[in-house]
Parts: sequence; structure tokens; C-alpha cells
Amino acid sequence: MGFFRNLGDIFQILRHVFRQVMSRPFTYFYPFEDREYPERTRGRHIHVREKCTACMQCVRACPNVAISIDKSDKHYEKDAALFFDYTRCIFCGMCTQACRFDALFHTKVVDISEGEREDLLYGPDKIETLDRDPLEWRGRRFR
Amino acid sequence: MSPDILDETTEIWFGPQHVSAHGWAAKLTLVGDFVVECDPNAGYFHRSAEKCLEFRNFRQGALIMERLCMLEAFLAEYPYVQAVEKIAGLEVPERAKVMRTIMMEASRIHSLQFWWGQFSAELGLFAMLLWPWVDREFFLDAFEELSGSRHAVSYSTPGGVKYDFNDKVLEKLDIAIARFEDRMPVMRDMLMGSPTFRARTEGIGQYTLKQGLKFGLSGPPIKACGLPMDLRKDAPDPNLAYDMIDWEVPVTESEEHPGESDAYDRMVQRFREMETSVEIIRKLLPLVPEGPIVDPKARGKSNRLPEGEAYGRVEGTRGISTLWLKTTEKAQTPYRAKIRGPCFNSYYSLKHLVPGAKFADFIVVFGSLDPYPGWWDR
Repeated sequence: MGFFRNLGDIFQILRHVFRQVMSRPFTYFYPFEDREYPERTRGRHIHVREKCTACMQCVRACPNVAISIDKSDKHYEKDAALFFDYTRCIFCGMCTQACRFDALFHTKVVDISEGEREDLLYGPDKIETLDRDPLEWRGRRFR
Repeated sequence: MSPDILDETTEIWFGPQHVSAHGWAAKLTLVGDFVVECDPNAGYFHRSAEKCLEFRNFRQGALIMERLCMLEAFLAEYPYVQAVEKIAGLEVPERAKVMRTIMMEASRIHSLQFWWGQFSAELGLFAMLLWPWVDREFFLDAFEELSGSRHAVSYSTPGGVKYDFNDKVLEKLDIAIARFEDRMPVMRDMLMGSPTFRARTEGIGQYTLKQGLKFGLSGPPIKACGLPMDLRKDAPDPNLAYDMIDWEVPVTESEEHPGESDAYDRMVQRFREMETSVEIIRKLLPLVPEGPIVDPKARGKSNRLPEGEAYGRVEGTRGISTLWLKTTEKAQTPYRAKIRGPCFNSYYSLKHLVPGAKFADFIVVFGSLDPYPGWWDR
């Protein structure tokens, strides 16, 4: 009986090994390959200045004081300049949930690492624009 | 061993740089290859979470709680949310109750899969490190689809949950569970039947039920002794959906040494925990009712809380995790929050469990109790 039991075990192991060999790898060749991120991905933010009313709800909701606001810098009637400190941000999503005017969103851009610390302090120019399409970067392939 | 070696004792620091000691250290006194004294040291992971909670309002506090133990984020944040709901007198919609419970059980499976892989690797079985971790990725995909983040989910909020289920979330959760059900029994039999695994775990880190209770253990380490002590059944939370379905508390009663548990029994117990979690999720998924996911008045009510104190607790993966919260009149932040994690007790019980064991078995005893440094250092 022992012989047949061992044989059964070996077949079961082989079954799993072959399944693994035939399936696609679970890892990505990262900077050149990436996966599709879900709709709700909490990546870097984007600020829609036309809709902003400078209500400060995002500043109050932030648990880590990553957002500051300059009300004197106005381009439209009610808006304000937003400064994001990504050295402090934990991407919890509290600010976007607090915004009732659809002026602050998360994007799918999750790779925002920089060489210098200062580059992570996003000023109003940087936080209002996406310098690149989140899905097209460095000629990435997606699977 | 020559008699000279037996006369001398050697002190060895296990950690904090050791690969298995991620944020903790224990001073071991050895005679030859045997440990005669074990002195666990806490403090390497201290982030003053209790003080941080005093500077965050009642919606932000859960974010700090989930960072205590990222592996069971859905469960770790819950005691805080529960305490706030009790003080503010918030009512949770039915849909949110069921959704919370489902995600908490999924979190439990994911946490146990991580532990299972890690524990196997600590024993030197590296193939078993990666196989459960691959299956775990599917649960993480479901969490990411639901909340937008893989680990720091920030899901529960006072009065409900933040993110609603959609078809994609349910699909990914179904894929994860189906894959788990398909592969887990094979991997379990492979691991538990392995002579290497049995030799390394049987009779190691053995304690009786009485000792376990004296150490203050809870969760799988105490259920492995045969005591069905489970908060989900003993004190069903009205804001969770465990009482909506029939399920049994998983218990392991060893035939060879009844009323005691060793590392092997605790492994068996954790596999049963995973099976129970799958059963609960399968039974709850068709019961998700329609309706709102958060109490519309919750936002206003949780801005300023009345004076009071409350005790939030949940049956976590590693045991019972609790939080005591005290507020003053019209407070925006807690006056005091006291966290009692399940792992402080299991970590310091090493002091009594390890002496007498071989040096190589130290990590087996540690791993079988599944402590997480975030829970004892706070």
C-alpha cells in the first residue's frame, strides 16, 4: 500500500508542477512590463482647479498634514492653489472622499519615486496636470 | 559534547537583524545546543500608536490601527471603529455588516496564508513558502479591486464601510476562494504528511490548556488545546453578521496528548480556521442585501463624540485584539486609547516555552504562535 500511496502523492505533486509550468509567470519584468491597475487605485492625486471652492475639507481630512492650501492664489472665482507633500501622504483616500465638489481625484499613477526629496513636494502646477498617461510610460507592455 | 561545554553558557541575541526576526529580538542563553533561558525583548517596532491616536479624529484613527498589523488590516482596524460606533450610538446598515464580515474573513485567510508560507520557510521548506503566497496574491487582487490598495485598505469607517462591492470585486473574490479551495487540501496534505515537517513540529513548544490560559493566549493557540473560545461565537457583535449563518468554531483536539497543543496542532488548527473562513464567506456572499453602505448621519455624528468610554474587540487571526477608548464631552479626538494586541502574550510566553528546547527549535516555537511585532509594540 505504501508504494501506491507514494505513487499517488508523486502524481499529485507532478500535476501541480505541470500546472505551474504551463501557467504564465506571476512576476513582471517591472519597469518594462506592468499590469492594469483597478479603477479605484489610490495613486497620486490630480486637482481640478475649475471645480475647487477652497473649502479646506481635504486639508482637514488629511491625517498626516500632507496638504496645504493658498487661498490668495486664484485663477478662477473661488479656487485656491493646492500643495501636496508626497513625503507625508499615505494614500489613504480621506481627502478625495472629503471633497464634495469633485475637484480632487486619485489617479492610477503609482510610481512617483524621485531622486530628490524636494521633487516630491508637488506645487499647484504639478498637482493639476498629469505629465504622462498613467498607462503609457517607458514603452511599457501590459498584460 | 564534552563536560566543559556543559559548564559554560553562551548568550546569543536572536535578532533584531535576523531574517526571521523582523522587528524583535530575544536573548537566548545556551548550554551546548540547548536553550536554558529565553528573554524576549520588545520595543524595536514601537511607533507610539496610542499617542498618535490621540491626535487623529474619529474617522482617521482606523488608519493607524490598520498599520499595527498590515496582514489583517480589515480585522485590525475594526476594534477602533466598533468603539467609536458604541460611543456615538451609530447604526450600521445591514449591507455594510455583511460586507465587513466577508472582508474580515478574507483578510483572515490571507493573513494565515502568509503565516503558513513564512512558517514553512522558517523550517527550511522553501517550496511551501511560495505556493501559498501565490494564492494569497489573488486575495490581494480582490482587496485592491475593492479599496484601491493592497494592504492598507482603510475599509471600515464609523457607521459602515467606505467602498461598495461591484461585479469585479465579487469575481476576483470568487477566483481567489476557488483557487484556495482547489489547491489548499493538496498543499496541506503535502506539508502535514512530510516526515521532515512532522519531526520538526511534533512535541515542540508544548503547553497545556491551563498554561495557555495563564499566559493569556487567545485565538488559534488556545483553540489548538481543544477549548472553543471564539469571540465570533461567544459574543456576537451586532454590527457584524456572524449570527446570520450557522457555523462551528474550529477546534483541534489531539488524540496523543488531549488538552495540550504543540506546534503541529497549532498548524492543524490554522488550516481549520482557513476552512471555516471559506465556509463563512461562501454562506454570507448570497446574503448581501441591497441598501446603503454607510449610515448617512455617521459623518456628522462622528465629528464630535459625547463623553464616554467603550471597549472594541474582535477575534483576529492571532487572537483577540481589543481597544479601549475614552472621550471627553464634544471631543474631536480621543482622550485616551489603549490597545491590547493578541501577540504580547504569545511573545512573552516564549520565556516559559523555549527553555529546554534545542536552539534550532526556538524559531519553530516562535513561528507556531504567529506573533506579529506591530501588536506588542504598538
